[in-house]
Amino acid sequence: MSSDFSTIDKLGAAMTFHRERHAVLAGNVANVDTPGYRPYDITQGGAASGELELAPTEGGAMQANAEPGAAYAKTFDDGGNLAGPDGNAVSMERELAKIDANRTRYATAAELVSRRMAMLKYAAGDGSGG
Amino acid sequence: MSTDFFTAMEVSASGLSAQRTRMNVAASNLANAQTTQAAGGGPYKRRDVVLAAADLPNTGEMTGVVKGVEVSSIQQDQSAPRLEYDPGHPQANAQGYVAYPNINPVEEMVDMITASRAYEAGVTTMSSAVNMAEKALSIGK
Repeated sequence: MSSDFSTIDKLGAAMTFHRERHAVLAGNVANVDTPGYRPYDITQGGAASGELELAPTEGGAMQANAEPGAAYAKTFDDGGNLAGPDGNAVSMERELAKIDANRTRYATAAELVSRRMAMLKYAAGDGSGG
Repeated sequence: MSTDFFTAMEVSASGLSAQRTRMNVAASNLANAQTTQAAGGGPYKRRDVVLAAADLPNTGEMTGVVKGVEVSSIQQDQSAPRLEYDPGHPQANAQGYVAYPNINPVEEMVDMITASRAYEAGVTTMSSAVNMAEKALSIGK
């Protein structure tokens, strides 16, 4: 049984990860024409794919895999995209798709924090929803 | 915590400014496609923007992974000028040939299109950052 706030902590860590990842992906888009540039990415310790993965816990509640304060693995990720004549391996479509997916995951985590907060507020109140 | 949304926006802004420079240089090449006498003598020489990845200040442990872009130099294309036979032209040489700039308008147009697409991608990336920040601010509302 996790404490009431550990879910929020973990969702917060997931949001931090996705915020940092956005800066990395933005750098790849900015360098779409830089000779010799290879796109970077970061992955999160715990979730192998770097995604916000939710696993069911004993109580049936959902728990985010992100650990607060965990270090990120820095990788090159060109997705098998061959570098052009100038050595640049950035695929603009791939990066924009990653940015969009990353943004959606961030929004999902933010929404989950909101809902969790609303539940706690409900429990802390007299149950009237105020 | 080592980067925030402003870092992401700074990264995107560096990309936008680099693409705008490319656009300006391509426009200047097109405008000077017929300039037979430039400063320093001889026809105008085509300019090319050289981009390089650049680290941003204050990125903490994310340094080396979060890269902006900068215009490292604007080089002159040293390829030979295009010679055209026009004996009546004031800049014609003894054989009657005029040296025109080494500029191919089609190449410049392609450059402008790729710069413009990359600029759009940068704007999209920046609005994603703004959208994410708004989602964070709406927590608890």
